[in-house]
Amino acid sequence: MGEAVTGGVVNMAAKLEIEPGSSNAYHTGDWRTQQPVYQNKWPPCSQVCPASEDIQAWLALASEQQWQAAWHKLAERNPFPATMGRICYHACESACNRKHLDSAVNIHALERYLGDRAIALGWSHKSSCDEARTQRIAIVGAGPAGLSCAFQLARHGYLVTVFDAQAEPGGTLHSAIPDYRLPKSVLAKEIDAILALGIELRLKHRIGKEISERDLLDQFDAVFLAIGTRQPRPHPYDDGTGKAGSSHRVTSGLEFLHRLNRDEPLIIPQQVAVVGGGNTAIDVARCVRRLGADVAVVCAQDPHGTHQQDLATEMPASLTEVIEAETEGVQLIYRAGVRRLVRSGAHLSGIEIAHVDRVHDRQGHFNPILFAGTEAFVAAELVIFAIGQEADWQGLEGLQQTTEAEGVWVGGDAVSKSKLAASAVGSGYQAAMSIMASLQGKSLVFDAHQKTKITFRKMQLHYYRKQLRREGEMNAQRLDGFKEVVNGLAEHDAVDEAGRCLSCGVCFECDNCWHFCPDAAIIKKEDGYAVDYDYCKGCGICAQECPCGHIDMENIETPAKASTS
Amino acid sequence: MDKRDPFRHNVLTAGHRACSGCGEAMAARMVTDLIGPEAIYISATGCLQVFTTHNQQSAWQAPWIHSVFANSAAVASGVEAALRAKGKDTPVVVQAGDGGTFDIGLQCLSGLIERGHDILFVCYDNEAYMNTGVQRSSSTPHAVRTSTSPPGRLSQGKQQLKKDVISIMAAHHMPYAATATIAYFPDLKAKVEKAMSIKGPRFLQVLSPCPLGWVHDSALSVTVSRLAVETGLFPLVELEYGELTGVMRLVEQKPVDEYLRPQGRFKHLFNSQDGAMELRHLQALADTRIRRYGLLDAHTQWDTAHAMQSERHGRGGYWRGSEHGR
Ligand SMILES: Cc1cc2nc3c(=O)[nH]c(=O)nc-3n(C[C@H](O)[C@H](O)[C@H](O)COP(=O)(O)OP(=O)(O)OC[C@H]3O[C@@H](n4cnc5c(N)ncnc54)[C@H](O)[C@@H]3O)c2cc1C
Ligand SMILES: Cc1ncc(C[n+]2csc(CCOP(=O)(O)OP(=O)(O)O)c2C)c(N)n1
Ligand code: SF4
Ligand code: SF4
Ligand code: SF4
Ligand code: SF4
Ligand SMILES: [Mg+2]
Repeated sequence: MGEAVTGGVVNMAAKLEIEPGSSNAYHTGDWRTQQPVYQNKWPPCSQVCPASEDIQAWLALASEQQWQAAWHKLAERNPFPATMGRICYHACESACNRKHLDSAVNIHALERYLGDRAIALGWSHKSSCDEARTQRIAIVGAGPAGLSCAFQLARHGYLVTVFDAQAEPGGTLHSAIPDYRLPKSVLAKEIDAILALGIELRLKHRIGKEISERDLLDQFDAVFLAIGTRQPRPHPYDDGTGKAGSSHRVTSGLEFLHRLNRDEPLIIPQQVAVVGGGNTAIDVARCVRRLGADVAVVCAQDPHGTHQQDLATEMPASLTEVIEAETEGVQLIYRAGVRRLVRSGAHLSGIEIAHVDRVHDRQGHFNPILFAGTEAFVAAELVIFAIGQEADWQGLEGLQQTTEAEGVWVGGDAVSKSKLAASAVGSGYQAAMSIMASLQGKSLVFDAHQKTKITFRKMQLHYYRKQLRREGEMNAQRLDGFKEVVNGLAEHDAVDEAGRCLSCGVCFECDNCWHFCPDAAIIKKEDGYAVDYDYCKGCGICAQECPCGHIDMENIETPAKASTS
Repeated sequence: MDKRDPFRHNVLTAGHRACSGCGEAMAARMVTDLIGPEAIYISATGCLQVFTTHNQQSAWQAPWIHSVFANSAAVASGVEAALRAKGKDTPVVVQAGDGGTFDIGLQCLSGLIERGHDILFVCYDNEAYMNTGVQRSSSTPHAVRTSTSPPGRLSQGKQQLKKDVISIMAAHHMPYAATATIAYFPDLKAKVEKAMSIKGPRFLQVLSPCPLGWVHDSALSVTVSRLAVETGLFPLVELEYGELTGVMRLVEQKPVDEYLRPQGRFKHLFNSQDGAMELRHLQALADTRIRRYGLLDAHTQWDTAHAMQSERHGRGGYWRGSEHGR
């Protein structure tokens, strides 16, 4: 030892013979054969949301009470949160990973909460472009598809004009959905906020009538057709007047709802039968109950939950809607089809129904077989057929044939298989992206992380606390008029509910990886984490213990240089 | 100095030579960062000492002394007495393996406690002499395969039971003795902070899985340590002056199989009649510990679900003072 001793006191300044160095000089990173990589994933809720909302992202902001930021994040993909939070059948919740822990996050209630907050506080949408553009785009149809497309294009600086044949915007959301599910004022306020981006709206303009197809093509650089399905599918029975069609005894669901929503006077007898198993049938039946009549729904399929494997033979209407309808006294007659309308002279006394055997034929078409000898009588003085609807291309035959390459896009219910408002919104978004790419001469790009999916099996659910799902309260006086059935969440419940999101596949800064790395190879920074590959030995603990599955272990040929969360 | 991380000292820094996934390295990194770089650390011979001081390179960013295998507690007693003589209150911390605690270090440790030194003794319990090639220690659980307790015709691994060292510590009537493990950082943090707030001898037994000696996947160190607690095989308890003052309640008791299966050191139990009996024996040992400490029905604020919870934006880091960031 080279220490100097003077009068029994060690001279601390003297150098040791062997000077210790830091182990930092030794890079244990050379040892590893696999390495952790931080990787955002696309959670199941977003995978199934027809509007492709980044649900995890806006829930995270909501849980921190950054309400306005959350609303902007949501609106990026869906400018109708208050509307959608009320009427979307929320496939997101059926897919939510949280159901494997306790119960799904109440996504739709939070969506509504944000939308209602935006309406109450008068928030405006942000434009995401400072470039002034000169190209003009025409949109035919002011339903959710048309307005979603208009919203995206206007946000990006394009000049947008929306045409609609009706006197009010909103499409089917306005004309058919009853007030007890969607108050008209809510829809109107959300549409106002969209139009405030500088969109021109021309109501009572039917293409092919008030304005021609040719004018549209000449005056605009691109056209988006979002005309919905507004033509009721005809029913094959005559009502005693000698011709098939609509009268005060027999009508279509769509016609009935349109008249109701336009506040037209309706004469409703005491007994009504609704034919059909979809959401429209249920809406019609619930409206009839509110008008004070008794109503039976005749549906070809079985009740929910009877065919786990073969969902095609279950009633297609949403289960929640069916339950609410039954609570309100709607009678449901399953596995039954109409044989004929029963008349006494000109008077309609009801329908004759029979047992349905097979619902769909070999080609998968709805084509029920009715068994003889199983007939039954359902008394009704009004029969409403809610058996589907089609797009009305009249006056649009030319545009219908025109392709995207020639500047015409089509979307929404008119062409999508899934006839849902959120699908229409998603379809409008896709069309806008495609139109912008085409006008800018670029190819379409989508977010890369949306390709990496995540299931609950990749997650460590034991890191999360069980927490009760918060629900909006049910309105006790709901059959009294057309008041909303479900109330919104209170603010404290909204915070708690948003906090229930597991943040599937997206780092929520829990510190687990940082705490657990035995090699101090994970660095915590102000805005996330980074793997220090100089030292990472590739043990895999960080990936194993990441609650939300954000970290992947990948096999390596050559060690990586950097990965940040 | 390693200053890579703005939220932590890294008292035990990177570049150490522990096996990939080492539970002891993880435990020591957590404990020493919770205590901080102002303490004097004494390490008994063992893996932690060897892998942190290799080839003239130290992983310690704090004053650190290596004692021999048996006498870390005695060395620490001397350090503490000297500091006291100089009027200093620098914390003194011993770190030793189970061999250096349960076996060869036991009498020095007992002396330290009996003399009442103001020292925290931390035992990183990996249940065998790992550094010399996985020989059995008195901490090795019943029926475990080690290189000196191979299963065969005469026995299914180690014949004896794991020594109940925490009871031995408590029997010294010492101010604070507790068990902890890496899977529950908030619990470990609370115990280290409590220990550091108490004067006199304190003892912490930290279960530290060893992928090499326990023969499990390196990614499973935390999972295995969690299962040791959830099965009741390793109760998390606190004892003050011999009295049980805290237990971590089990929200749900897991069967011991779940803990044993991922570990190669128990593999021999799963393919023979004798093994099956030992499995029942291990289950009975877990049940006994659960009964003894009331792990399923204790009235506590801590339980296994609560202590696991991950929260958005961290569980809080290592700094106790506000001047160090969050
Ligand atoms: C009774 C009922 C209840 C429903 N309930 C729900 C629900 O709860 N949840 C849900 O997700 N979905 C529901 N839907 C479906 C949803 O309403 C539709 O999926 C959605 O409105 C389709 O949007 P869209 O923009 O494609 O078409 P639409 O909303 O139908 O809008 C099309 C618009 O185009 C206009 N138009 C058509 N032709 C022309 C033309 N030639 N010139 C100018 N304008 C034209 C129409 O006037 C209309 O305003 C329901 C549908 C019905 C019928
Ligand atoms: C007196 C003495 N006997 C034996 C050894 C060899 N030796 C070094 S480390 C060690 C085992 C240490 O086991 P443990 O204390 O449990 O620590 P671990 O390595 O398992 O962390 C042994 C036996 C020694 N250094 N000194
Ligand atoms: S639009 Fe529908 S599916 Fe998408 S998040 Fe909202 S409720 Fe869920
Ligand atoms: S927990 Fe959150 S991120 Fe995961 S599926 Fe549910 S809502 Fe989506
Ligand atoms: S825990 Fe640390 S050493 Fe292990 S793989 Fe992750 S970063 Fe690498
Ligand atoms: S362990 Fe926690 S901090 Fe680390 S990546 Fe996963 S969520 Fe983020
Ligand atoms: Mg050991």
